[in-house]
Amino acid sequence: MRPFALNYARSAEELEVSAPYSYDSRLQLNVLPDGRIAAHEHAVLREWGATTSTAGSKTHFDD
Amino acid sequence: MTVLILTCEQDVTADMVVAELNGAGIPVVRLDPADLPGGAALSGEYVHGSFHGHLSTSGRLVSTDGLRSIWIRRPGEPAAHVAEPSTWLTEETSQALYGMLHATGARWMNRPEAARRARRKPWQLHLAQRSGLPVPATLITTFPQAARDFAARFPDLVVKPVSGTHPEDPPRAVPTSRIAPDADFAAVAFGPTLLQRRIAKRADIRLTAVGERLLAARKPAAADPDHVDVRFAPSVGPWQPVDVPASIASGVHTYLREAELAYGAFDFVEDSDGIWWFLECNQSGQFGFVELDTGQPIAATVAKWLAGTEPESEPHATPATRPT
Repeated sequence: MRPFALNYARSAEELEVSAPYSYDSRLQLNVLPDGRIAAHEHAVLREWGATTSTAGSKTHFDD
Repeated sequence: MTVLILTCEQDVTADMVVAELNGAGIPVVRLDPADLPGGAALSGEYVHGSFHGHLSTSGRLVSTDGLRSIWIRRPGEPAAHVAEPSTWLTEETSQALYGMLHATGARWMNRPEAARRARRKPWQLHLAQRSGLPVPATLITTFPQAARDFAARFPDLVVKPVSGTHPEDPPRAVPTSRIAPDADFAAVAFGPTLLQRRIAKRADIRLTAVGERLLAARKPAAADPDHVDVRFAPSVGPWQPVDVPASIASGVHTYLREAELAYGAFDFVEDSDGIWWFLECNQSGQFGFVELDTGQPIAATVAKWLAGTEPESEPHATPATRPT
């Protein structure tokens, strides 16, 4: 009874790791521990893939 | 006049726009509906024939009269963060928040009703056809025989989720996948199945539309034809800016107008003849990864649109008329 499309599914286990930045409600921005704004640190964003099109988001499917 | 951004705290792509707005001196309130009620609050009064509303979060208070624009980016489900969440409270909170926001004159990116319709991928295919965009031959069916007949007409097919979502319990990803020539289509009866003619692509295209402005990027395709889905394929090079063919630009503008969208992230594949084939339009698609590779000013363009300094593209939006 498995739908056809699920024959092509693959594991999507997500590792529970925390990003190197956290939200600062005063700035309304995510900041690194040293206070730098995460959005300005492109190397960090690339490394974490935080801006990529995942199409596997738990909460948003229109990536 | 303030820009209201509805998104979650983890959304660093929204951060890119917040930083642009900060640089331009445009007031911003960032609110996650999941924090409402509790971390965020609202109030609206309908008295003497007029409406006055307020939103509050993290020590900021904004009048709904003072909203110039509303960007629905990655909002959490309303009331998701309360101690005892329930479907009822989510609906109550959603009605209160979005119902009040609809009473404002703010412009939306994107209006919720338009966004809801625009997420439906079968409708996207129809609208793309009507807009003059090339669409690969596609079948959505629960009839196994229809799938077999389609495969006989189009022997090289891919399959992908109709909704674009991925199953949970356990979490799995369902990438767009090439179907073997001898595939057994009997299981089509167990769920709507989207089959599409595979385009032998030489590149993937991500076209980000912000108001009237189109910013397109191109990424060379992996050599292996079984690597259909760019999200799961090995990268053979960065995204690079590319000009938009006039016919595609025309089709995209038509699509956005008909869909009543101010923002859309379009996925195309480019074939060996240079034709861009429409795959889908994500009405809240990511753009940060493109900007990081290409340097295209997408966040700045979104910020300008939200600030009201970009041309209006939303047919039914009412431009803010109050002074800033």
